[in-house]
Formats: sequence, structure tokens, C-alpha cells
Amino acid sequence: MSVGAQIALQNAVNGLLIGGTYATVGVGFSLVWGTLNIVNLAHGALVMLGAYATYWLFTLYHLDPLLSLPLVGGALFAFGYPLQRIVINQVVRAPFLITFLLTFGIELVITNLALAAWTADIRSVTTAYSGRSLALGPVVLPAVRIATLAIAVLVAFGLQVLMTRTRLGSAIRATASDQEAARLMGIPIAHVYALTFAIAAASAGIAGGLISLSFPIFPAMGAGYTLIAFVVCVLGGLGSVPGAFLGGLLLGLLQTYAAAWLGPNFDNIVAFGVLIAVLLVRPAGLLGRAARFRG
Amino acid sequence: MARGPQPRGANRGALLLAAAALAAALAFPTVASTYYIRLLTGIFMFGALASAWNLIGGYAGYPDFGGAAFVGIGAYTTGILMVRAHVPFAAALPAGGLLAIVAAVAMGSVLLRLRGHYFAIATLGFVIVLQQVASNLDITGGGTGMNLPVARTFTAFYYWMLALLVLAVTAGIVLPRSRVGYAIAAIRENQDAAQVLGIEPLPYKIVAYAASAVFFGLAGGIYASWFTFIDPPTVFNVDFTIQAIVMAVFGGPGTAFGPLVGAIVLKSLDTVLTNISVFFHDIFFGALVVLLVIFAPRGLAELFRAPGGIAAAIRAEVRGQRI
Amino acid sequence: MPLLLGRGVTKVFSRLIALDRIDVSIEQGEIVGLIGPNGAGKSTLVNTITGMEPLTEGSFEFEGRALHGLRPAAIARLGLARTFQIAQPLRNMTVRQNVAVPSLFRAGPAAGVAAALREADATLEAVGLAPKADLPARALTTPDLRRLELAKALALRPRLMLLDEVMAGLTPAEVDAEMAMLRRVSAGGVALLVIEHVLRAVMGLSHRVIVLHHGRKIADGPPGQVTRDPDVIRAYLGTPSPPGSAPRR
Repeated sequence: MSVGAQIALQNAVNGLLIGGTYATVGVGFSLVWGTLNIVNLAHGALVMLGAYATYWLFTLYHLDPLLSLPLVGGALFAFGYPLQRIVINQVVRAPFLITFLLTFGIELVITNLALAAWTADIRSVTTAYSGRSLALGPVVLPAVRIATLAIAVLVAFGLQVLMTRTRLGSAIRATASDQEAARLMGIPIAHVYALTFAIAAASAGIAGGLISLSFPIFPAMGAGYTLIAFVVCVLGGLGSVPGAFLGGLLLGLLQTYAAAWLGPNFDNIVAFGVLIAVLLVRPAGLLGRAARFRG
Repeated sequence: MARGPQPRGANRGALLLAAAALAAALAFPTVASTYYIRLLTGIFMFGALASAWNLIGGYAGYPDFGGAAFVGIGAYTTGILMVRAHVPFAAALPAGGLLAIVAAVAMGSVLLRLRGHYFAIATLGFVIVLQQVASNLDITGGGTGMNLPVARTFTAFYYWMLALLVLAVTAGIVLPRSRVGYAIAAIRENQDAAQVLGIEPLPYKIVAYAASAVFFGLAGGIYASWFTFIDPPTVFNVDFTIQAIVMAVFGGPGTAFGPLVGAIVLKSLDTVLTNISVFFHDIFFGALVVLLVIFAPRGLAELFRAPGGIAAAIRAEVRGQRI
Repeated sequence: MPLLLGRGVTKVFSRLIALDRIDVSIEQGEIVGLIGPNGAGKSTLVNTITGMEPLTEGSFEFEGRALHGLRPAAIARLGLARTFQIAQPLRNMTVRQNVAVPSLFRAGPAAGVAAALREADATLEAVGLAPKADLPARALTTPDLRRLELAKALALRPRLMLLDEVMAGLTPAEVDAEMAMLRRVSAGGVALLVIEHVLRAVMGLSHRVIVLHHGRKIADGPPGQVTRDPDVIRAYLGTPSPPGSAPRR
């Protein structure tokens, strides 16, 4: 294989591997948006909390990051439920400007509490296997990234099963589809909303845990991930778990190729460019339903 | 939005009050200490930003989260012209405003086709992207930022910001009563209906967007010269926009003076919080936003009973009801 | 030259043929009724004429000018006004301001705001809404909202008005008043396309009636002729049963 093709293939692999992370970041965001019609600007902050949780469990208790994922997910679930039930629920039916302001305020509080508690020092998680990689023919696969992708697949799969094969999933989809009708059928809306948000928070936490293995951890890291979540959602279509997964992979590929072509400091620019392009050209995304959004 | 002929008394009263306040503001630096001059300069800036946001967010109904993009554009244009081309501030500043208008027309013709959440996040993304662009370019000094020449007097900025505020509030008074303003209002109320009445929406939306952008840009230019140091995260900072929005929304979107009132109250609160603890001030502000949104959806303007009609309706629509 | 000419007008939504090769023409000063069972395609036809929906096939010409590719605002400014079936007022603006908007944006020299507001008063007088000029539009009752729609359309100084079910829900007295008003509008030189279910109104007003059914034009002629057309009767009532087959009591 020529060098050019090798590089292209390596980039493709890198892109897919990082896309797995993006998918996990985006899938919960998509769930909340599709069900509660809330664009959660604090989503990235939840990812950040997951990353820090993983870091502290690793640093203080030597718990392997991959093993601590269920704990981190559980912790974020426990955090997300009351956050939704008590705070966000107040504005679920308000115009989106209000929900934006609210979730922004929450983001501000969480991020600055993290800053106060843990300072702006950049942390990272380095395990015994952090440097290892697997050579598969001409391509190098870092062990950590493979694990990340595998878990991303598991999370997406799990969520999809939850949404399509369980009673809770039906309840969530019913509520997303027609809140009044769901209420009339006896579905406890506030509880379903809170559960949905909690599940999304858990997935954000897990995403944070995965991110901690490969990327720097610092309190302000959330904003970029919120943007990524948004782009993934738009790419994949609202409320679709497989769509978010594919959207994440696609974004990962696009960013990796752009970085190869343009240099490393263009990730946000690429994400934004992709976002605009998709919104203008194929607003329903790859797999999802079109929302009324054109002005 | 114009409510039709107002009882003469109310209008005259409001204008007299505004004139008196303006006179007081003009005289203020002669008697006040530097601390208060600085404080008021900040209030004027946010009053201008909030009033400017109102043009696109309140009157046009397009909640723009990207105002900070224009702050940055204005700041860097002014800075680059002053530092690299040795252009005096008085000329560099309008150039910043002009570039903000150009950027607004360019981005607006793309972004204003989107609605709701999508428009909001796209404009938010715009800020994040420009921040990265500024970090990558040499001419902006990249990530390390840029230093501007120190001005001779610092009171000058008080007057610059005051002038900006007066212009922004005037725009908020004049625009809704003009032909363009009627188009913008019609588009906000019902875009489909507006179209069959002969209004092609996009150009008018762009006008509102550019009108808002120019004030953000000019504020950025003044800010840059005032603080003498700018870097990407400082000027392409979403906080400018969020604060402007919060002030406009809680002060009274859809009125000419509401955003200014919101700016005065919130900035004062913010200052008090900062004096309590610089460290926790952002947390307090975030919590304040959360509390305001939940407990005061009817906002601060209920303190003055604004005459009903359009102002109350826009306010109600922007704030909505709870479950 | 007809005022409005539609040839082979076809509109397909996914797999639904909403309009099927329709030819339609409206002359200056005519009042043309457009009737048909629900779902026949009446509103879709109006939406395609006014540019809110693109045509799949076929074309429209207004005063000899092709409407293909024109945006709704441009079509409105050519002198083609419409009202919506569900009234679309500018809710938070006053009634007067609502009517001033089209005055400001129709074709011709741009009027100033003050002039437009004065002109709006005159228009409101003509439709009987003058006492409510200062109310916000959202405060109006449904019949008044319909009148407001009409006033807004009139303020465009159109040569053709497309009226979508302006009589729905009106009492017989109100229907009469509305019919008188439309006759006055027509006398002023404006052609009307009146979509209606209130057959008394349509038949009483129209010079000519077009009947749509499942997207096809099944009749086009003077009211008396159309009501006797067997295809029309069948469309509205179904196939008449053979004599003697009705259930006995």
C-alpha cells in the first residue's frame, strides 16, 4: 500500500475511533432534545463532571477508568434526576430562549464550582495501557481508543435497546411524541422527563470517563463538547440513537481529515462548518425526523 | 414596537426623564471617583449591548447568541488598525463597526434562514469558531493576544460608551416606528403572513441583525482600547452575549428602555456580588440567572407598570409560562 | 388576456396528488367561486398560486407574467392578495398597524408610516373595523379577525384577491353582510376567487364556479349549471341509490 493510502487509512481509523467518543457525547443530548425539547447547554459540563469523577476515582482509589464507568454513569444519573425534576422541569414548556438561559446558568454554576474546587490545572488519566497500541496491517490502533469505541458501541446499543424494547423506552417515546396524550394514558410525565434526563446525564458522564483517557481534563472543557453534541445531533437527526452514533462517527472522520489537511487548531471551525452545511442542505439529518426549524 | 398614538403625557414624561438622566450622566465624571466612573462605563456598555440585542432578539424575534462574535470583530479590527497601522482610535473604531456590519450581512444571510434552537446554536457556534480563528492567525497575535496603546485619559471611554448607549437606545426608539421596523415586527409576529403582505423576510432580518451587530462591534472596539489588552477568549466571550440577553429579557424586551433598566439592575447586582467574592462571582451570577428564570419570569419591568400592548406581549412571549 | 391563467397545474406531495393537471382562468372583475369537498385541493391551489408551495408541473401567469420561481412577497406585490383559512393576524400589533403593513410594502412609491396609518383608518372604515383600530389584533373575535384579513388584503390594492373560507362560522346575517362587502370590493375593480363551503354565498356571489374533487377540476361554469352537474352532485353526495332501495321505517 502506498504511503498516501496508508495515511488516509490511518486517518480514517483515527476518525472512527474518535467518532465513537463524539457519538457517546451526542447521544444523550439528542435524547433530551428529542424528548423534552430542551437543548441542554450544560451537557458539556456533565461530560466534564464525568471526566473529573473518573480522574478522582483513578487518582485517589486507583480504580481503572474503564471499570469505573458504571460508577461514574450512576453518579451522573443520580445528579441528573433531581437536577431535572427540581430545576429544569420548571421551564420545560417555556420558549426555548428561557430554557437556553436556564441551562446556560446551570452550566455557569457547574463549571465555576469545578473551577473553584479543582482549579484550572489540566489533568489527565494515564493508565498502564495508555500507550499501548495494536498494529493491524498498515494501521496503528491505540488500545485506549479501541476500548473507547467498543464502549461507545455498547452505550449506543444499550440506549437503543432501552428505547425500543423496554416499557420505559416506550414511555419516553410516547412522551416525546405527544405529551398530552401520554399524560392522559397515565404516564407520569415529570418522572419520565427526569429519567430521560438522568439517562442522558449518565451517558454524558460515561463519555467524560472515556474522554479522560485520551484528552486533557479542565473545568472549561465542557463548551466544546456541547458544540460537538449539537453537531452530532444535527448530523444524525433529532431523537435518533443510531443517527447520533453515525453522526458522531462522521464528525470524527471529518475533523480528523480536516486536521490532517489544515492543522490541529481547526476542530471547532470544522464542527461549525459541518453544522451550517447540514442545517442548510439536509436539515433532517442522516436518519432523524425533520423538526420545524427553517425560517 | 410602536403602540400607535400614545397619550402625550407618558411620552413626554419619559423623554424628559431620559434627558435629565443624560445631563446627569454627562456631568458625572466631574464629581465622581475613578471607581464609579469605571463602574458606570461598564453599565453603559452593557446597556448598549442589551439594547442592541433587543433589536434582533426582541423586535425581530431571533434570539442571537452570537453577539460576542461582533464584539471580537470590533475589538480586533480596532486593535489591529491602531497597533499595526497606527490609525488613531477615532478612526479605527468606526472601521471596527463597519467590519461588524459586513460580517453580520455575510453571516446573517446564511444563519437567518434558520429558526429557533438552530439559529441560536448556530450563532453560538459562530462565536466559538471565531475564537479559534483568532487564535490561529498571526495578525491578531494568536493565542497570546494583543496590546493596544494606552490612552491619555480614561474618562474618554466613559463618554464613548455613553455615546454608544445613547445611540443604541435611540435605535431602539426609532427602529420600531420606521417602515423597516414595521417589516421586522410583521416578520416576528407571523412570517408567513408577512410574506403575503409583500414583505420579503430575509433582507429585513439582516437589517435587524446588522443593526444589532454594529453596536456589539463598536462596544468591542471601545472595550479593546479601554482595557488595552485583548485575546481570543476575552473578547470572543459568550458572556457578553449572555449578559446582554439576560438584561434585555428581564428588563423588558420589546421596549426601548427596558434593556437599559435590566443592565443597570443586573450590573449593579453583579458588582455587589463581585465585591462579596471575586472568586465566586460567576457562580453567583449563574445561580442568579437560574433563579431569575424560574422565579421571575415576569421580570423586573413589572416594577414600572409598562403600558400593556406590545411590550407586555413580547415579554410574555419571550418568557413564556411554566408547566 | 385573462388576469390569472393556470395551465396544467399539478402538485404532488410524496405520493398524494393534490392537484391534477388543472386549467383555470380568471378574468378581470370576475368573481369566481371555488368549491369542492374537503381535501379537494382548494387551499393547495391557492398556496401554489401565491408561491407558498412550488408547483410540480404546470404554470401560472398573472397579467401575462409568469409566476414561476417568484417568492410569495414578490407575487403579493404584483397585486395578488390572499386571506388565510385560519386567520393570520399580526397578533401583538394593533389592528390599525396590521392594515398599515401592506400599505407600506405594496408595489409603488413607498408610503411613509404616518401616511400608511391614515390610509389604514380608511380601509378599516370600509370593512367596519374602525372602532377597534387601537386594539391589539389578538383581542379580536373570529368574525373580526376575518374582516381584518380582508382589510389587510385590500390594503395591498390588489387586482385579484384569493379569499379562503371567509364565511365559515358566520351567522346568516353576517354572511349577507360579508357578501355585500365583497360585492363592493368587486365593484371597485378587484377580481375575486372565493373558496367557500357556504354554498349560498358562493352561488349568490359568483359569476362562475369551479369545482374541485380529489385534485381534479370536475366543473367550471355559471352557478346554476354547476349545481345541476351530475359529477358535482356525485362528488358531494355520493352515488344516488336506486329508487326503492332506501330503508323503510
